[in-house]
Amino acid sequence: MDAVEGAFRDIIDGVRLAPLWSRLAWEQTVARFRRTIFGPFWLTANLLAISFSLSVVFGGLMGQNYRTNFALIISGILSWSIIGPVMSEAASVFISAGGLMQTMKLPLTFHVLLMMTRNVINFLAQLIALWIVLAVLRLGAVPTWHLLIGLPIVLIDMSLVSMILAIPSTRFRDVNQTVGFAVQILFFITPVFWVPSQMHGKKRLLFDLNPFGHLLELVRQPLIGREPTLMHFEWGLGMMVILSAVVITQLALYRKRVVFWL
Amino acid sequence: MSCSLRLDNVTLDYYVYSVRAQSLRNAVFNLAVGGKLYKDQGDITVVRAVENVSFHLQDGDRLALIGHNGSGKTSLLKVMAGIYHPARGRVDIEGSITSMIAASAGMDFEATGLQNIRKLGAMRHISNKVIDERIGPIVEFSGLGDFVRLPVKTFSAGMVARLMFACATEFEADILILDEWLSAGDVEFMTKAQNRMHNFVEKAKIVVLGTHDFNMVQIVCNKVCVLDAGRVAFYGPTEEWVERGRHLRVRQDS
Repeated sequence: MDAVEGAFRDIIDGVRLAPLWSRLAWEQTVARFRRTIFGPFWLTANLLAISFSLSVVFGGLMGQNYRTNFALIISGILSWSIIGPVMSEAASVFISAGGLMQTMKLPLTFHVLLMMTRNVINFLAQLIALWIVLAVLRLGAVPTWHLLIGLPIVLIDMSLVSMILAIPSTRFRDVNQTVGFAVQILFFITPVFWVPSQMHGKKRLLFDLNPFGHLLELVRQPLIGREPTLMHFEWGLGMMVILSAVVITQLALYRKRVVFWL
Repeated sequence: MSCSLRLDNVTLDYYVYSVRAQSLRNAVFNLAVGGKLYKDQGDITVVRAVENVSFHLQDGDRLALIGHNGSGKTSLLKVMAGIYHPARGRVDIEGSITSMIAASAGMDFEATGLQNIRKLGAMRHISNKVIDERIGPIVEFSGLGDFVRLPVKTFSAGMVARLMFACATEFEADILILDEWLSAGDVEFMTKAQNRMHNFVEKAKIVVLGTHDFNMVQIVCNKVCVLDAGRVAFYGPTEEWVERGRHLRVRQDS
């Protein structure tokens, strides 16, 4: 029981360090763009470039104007940024924090939340760009209030997923590589830039049973002014319960070992 | 408030993972054969870094941890700082603890000295207001002058050590853990550092110092713990250690 208590304490202590990880996340974001001229606009440039390319190519393939699906695609890419890329980063979160972990006593949760916060800052910076671009193209919609529930659910779920991936990735460096590979595949099989209704038959299961698809819709649908269906919320909350159980087990068993795996 | 640091039969095993041990294929393969090969292959080397170490420090104790390279000094300091969990034994700490295991811990080398003082303060949960008040004394004590406005990557090892030590001792903590990086400072700074540690102890605090500098041990510390291959070869007052000839190993005759 001591180990389980320790696991909970790791999470509680990690959350309580909020002033520290929020500050460090901000500093690291600023540091990343130090001595660049465009600063954080590099993030939005990336979002715009991918979204325009995909819209033009897919619009062309379907014989549609790029505007038809642009709002859906750009909001999909943006929402995906706190799901897919977070998983790739999570796999090496302890490995890259190794120097700090070996010189300072900090809960494992701290490092995961620091990484999450960096990604949330990126997300928010790009969110502003998204609204500006959509407004300029006259494709904008007023986001629904569901975002205020959907986004926190996704962030909590992704923090849990990150912890689950980070621990074995530190021990087995092949897992680390596999995650990067798997995220690329997930990007294509999750409806980030396509619409599930275009899929028929068994292929639709790719969407229906893909947990990351449901998380994506929890953020994307409100962004383009639509209501996410209740099913997406059920998946989001259900995942939270299951993932929490896995995280607690993992922390209870391996929390003390991680620093030796670095 | 009184503070104390008690180690009870602390044993630390350090697992060194070879390249093979870190590959999943091997783990899966070994799982299929019942996990036995895993141990036999010796992919994981277990190093016993610290073995059965016990001592008790109270208010005003300044302990020097000395020993040859690889004798377990830093490992033991890391156990005290809570970074490593011992395989066996207990560590009981009363009071707040500040550890400075490496000179660069938590430093952002691209940021300026001043920014780093704020950062190191924040890492120790010091409020911005208190940091603002202390930033002057820290800069003054570090003796870096206008250099604190430059990025830390331009600093020499000694300058980094000065900045780090100034931060470590300016913000109050009950227990201070320092490793040997301190000796990167020059003579003038070492004298200042020794005085600072005396003051620190007057406020009834505990200092644990890993070092190779015997003069510093004699000036600063009232207790000495000599580690040899992870075991305590000597533990007692500094005077006794000096009388016995400042040895570093377990004597064959004793």
